Amino acid sequence: MIAALPRLHAVTDDRVVADPGLLERAGAMAAAAGPRLAVHLRARTPGGAERLALALRLKERLAAHGSWLVVNDRVDVARAAGAAAVALGRTGLAARDARRVAPGMPVARSVHDAAEARAAEGEGADFLVAGAVFATASHPGAPPAGTALVAAAAMGGLQVVAIGGITPANAAAAMREGAWGVAAIRALWDAADPAAAARAFLAVLPDAAPLAVAVNGESRAVAPGTTLRGLLEQLGLDPRAVVVEHNRHIVRRDDLAQARLAGGDVIELVHFVGGG
Amino acid sequence: MATTVMAPAFLDTPLVVGGRTFRSRLLVGTGKYKDNATMVRALEASGADVVTVAVRRISLDRTKEEGILYHLDPARFFLLANTAGCYSAEDAMRYARLAREAGFNEFIKLEVIGDQKTLLPDVAGLLEAARTLAKEGFTVMAYTNDDLVTALRLEDAGCAAVMPLASPIGSGLGLLNPYTIRTIKSRLSVPVIVDAGVGTASDACVTMEQGVDGLLMNTALAEARDPVAMAHAMRLATEAGRAAFLAGRMPRREVAVPSSPAAGMLS
Repeated sequence: MIAALPRLHAVTDDRVVADPGLLERAGAMAAAAGPRLAVHLRARTPGGAERLALALRLKERLAAHGSWLVVNDRVDVARAAGAAAVALGRTGLAARDARRVAPGMPVARSVHDAAEARAAEGEGADFLVAGAVFATASHPGAPPAGTALVAAAAMGGLQVVAIGGITPANAAAAMREGAWGVAAIRALWDAADPAAAARAFLAVLPDAAPLAVAVNGESRAVAPGTTLRGLLEQLGLDPRAVVVEHNRHIVRRDDLAQARLAGGDVIELVHFVGGG
Repeated sequence: MATTVMAPAFLDTPLVVGGRTFRSRLLVGTGKYKDNATMVRALEASGADVVTVAVRRISLDRTKEEGILYHLDPARFFLLANTAGCYSAEDAMRYARLAREAGFNEFIKLEVIGDQKTLLPDVAGLLEAARTLAKEGFTVMAYTNDDLVTALRLEDAGCAAVMPLASPIGSGLGLLNPYTIRTIKSRLSVPVIVDAGVGTASDACVTMEQGVDGLLMNTALAEARDPVAMAHAMRLATEAGRAAFLAGRMPRREVAVPSSPAAGMLS
């Protein structure tokens, strides 16, 4: 179980990767969804060097907001880019082999029926991407597996991300069958306003697990995506009356609203008291 | 017949530290008062412009007392943050940077403590922190012991003021070694402000009579039976000691010299 696994997965395809607006759209979604978003770099092209360069540019946009970069199939590119996870297709490496290339990196496996889900569990995948749940333009003519696939995939206990024709309107149906989150291509990338589309998905997805951080030596749970500014508000502290140290770095008042918390962060909040 | 007496301060130049001018040569701390109202009244009675404050974690329990800025007007007092409680150069620099981020000024009263029992400074750590902080643009006022060579090194390190102790922090033992304080004052170009150890008004007066530029105290006020009255006494004593130094004392003699004329006595 990966507590920090995002609930919303924006998966690319060849068409999206070729779009010059990719980085901008990814950045807009990341700003809207923060750590609740993962972007999957999935495409048949380009080759290794170009793919890595793109992965690094994507990661830069995503990391600024705590969003995940997931690289599909190319474990080498995933590792070189410092991706949060690698997702393997039907013909990709076995999870255990992928781990030899990128030790410690979570591995996702695409599954299309209950048998594939069991096989993925057996080879040690960390989470599953199960589809196509609904009819999708990515696989025209193929009969959708329905939400029963989600239930079947989730039976083994791994987290399941439902994919295939998912929209904010039908995401709840997949979630009811035990999905951890949902993945979409067109519903996100083709939206006139991708950030608004991401928000529409998040509205029907559960909040991610809270993060544990240390504030003035005390452990506290905060919602993913919480900024330092938000933390001060939760604590009822006036940002003008406190100096904030985040993992030993002083954060200027103007930057508090941009600094997001991650699990394990150490925050010190100090002020002036009487002294000699 | 009434005559007008000139205030002694008329003859004096103001205290200037790091390019900033202060009216009063008495600097006071804000710690250990039994309540904030008493502290504020004592600060007012002391006439001090500069008040020291410490950097500490804010209480997340909102029922606890608030920070000192709820009681002190930063427009009225010059806030001099200290690094009290720091036992390494690294800690002291961390506290100094946090203090500066509060946004009031670049001044830091640098303390690097080396011994828990006496609170005497760790001179090596002090010099290291002073050098680094001065390079980072801080106006460093360094609390140190009454050692001339350390004082000279601190001046070389870029300190804007050197603050030797009269006696250990909070001891109230008064000025233990006037000679070393005079020596330090005579050799340094930057202001010398005696920090710590003063117990009562006579201590303040004797210290200022050594010719130092200023005096910093906390416990002598906070732990007096009446802190406000003691603050008034310390203000007068600081001014008196300073005025006496400027006036220049008479020579010491081991024999009596009559004050009244020897001539004109009745036969």
